[in-house]
Amino acid sequence: MTIFSLYIFDRHCACVYYQDWHRSRKPKPAVPGGTLPAVNKSLSPTTIAGSHVQDVSPRNTLSINSGVVIAVSNDDPSFTQHPSSSPSGTGGQSSSGGGQSTGLSFDEEAKLVYGVVLSLRNMIKKLSGKDEQFVSYKTSAYKLHLYETLSGYKFVMLSDPEAESLRTTLHSIYAGPFLEYVVRNPLVSMDSKERGIDNEYFRAATDRAVKSIPFYSI
Amino acid sequence: MAIHGLWVINKAGGLVYQRNFGDGLPHLTANEYLVLAGTLHGIHAITSRLSPSGPSSGAQVIEGESFKLNVLLTHTGTKFILLTSLVEPTVDAMLQKVYEIYAEAVMKNPFHTPEMPIRTEGFDAKVTALLSGR
Repeated sequence: MTIFSLYIFDRHCACVYYQDWHRSRKPKPAVPGGTLPAVNKSLSPTTIAGSHVQDVSPRNTLSINSGVVIAVSNDDPSFTQHPSSSPSGTGGQSSSGGGQSTGLSFDEEAKLVYGVVLSLRNMIKKLSGKDEQFVSYKTSAYKLHLYETLSGYKFVMLSDPEAESLRTTLHSIYAGPFLEYVVRNPLVSMDSKERGIDNEYFRAATDRAVKSIPFYSI
Repeated sequence: MAIHGLWVINKAGGLVYQRNFGDGLPHLTANEYLVLAGTLHGIHAITSRLSPSGPSSGAQVIEGESFKLNVLLTHTGTKFILLTSLVEPTVDAMLQKVYEIYAEAVMKNPFHTPEMPIRTEGFDAKVTALLSGR
């Protein structure tokens, strides 16, 4: 039983935070302009000049700028990092993934995850006829859990397929680290559409919360 | 313990059979079911690409708060989807059974055109016998 990764999306469809644990297939770093700064240091494009964090460590700088829901792939090389620009899904796969990779760059992957979650959420709502929430789906290799807050933040966690529901865990990440180190942190600009919410304390606290899940193991 | 519905989606993503059982879920229009089936077909393909470790199948079980969709993908690409309540231990066996009935009553029917909507009385009757009593 393992936990693979955690994505947090804001209500503007942008991925504002990413962290992974026992993930064997990693995404390629995001293409420049594909993601917001301050999402995850190791995954941000290494060539971005304007981003705040320039980290060489392997998981760090993803940024997503636009409010795109659907995974669009356009190979427009002139695509620049601009918050108001339209769909930022570039198909350019310039950076090498290294090791086993999903073949997707991080920004594309984040958009696919968001697209799937949003479509399933709408499907469940439609089918139930009331405001029923989408909870999770399972494939042979992983299980995806969703917890959505009233403010529109979507916490998405990928785990082992046999895991039980992780909604309570996601809720506790929201009620604990997220409120403490993001909402109450004056240095984090929420809803900015320009920056993610990554910071040291939040990352460490989330890491602790996930590692305390009973079935978290290596 | 309840079965809410059965869908059959052909390999192109078209809904070729749809049936409701009971009143557990609201009944939508035929058009809405077509759209949902098409969406599900697309999502199913994407979910297999998002695997964080090793190759993955598409979504097998999709859960809401009070019901779930169980997906059986056959080797020919036809998908059988059973909408049930959350606690339903024998879903896999039931889906397999539905597949058998499909092979018997639909595929062996000389008047059935592959990939087209299923209008075979035998299939209807056998599926009803299997699922509606539950």
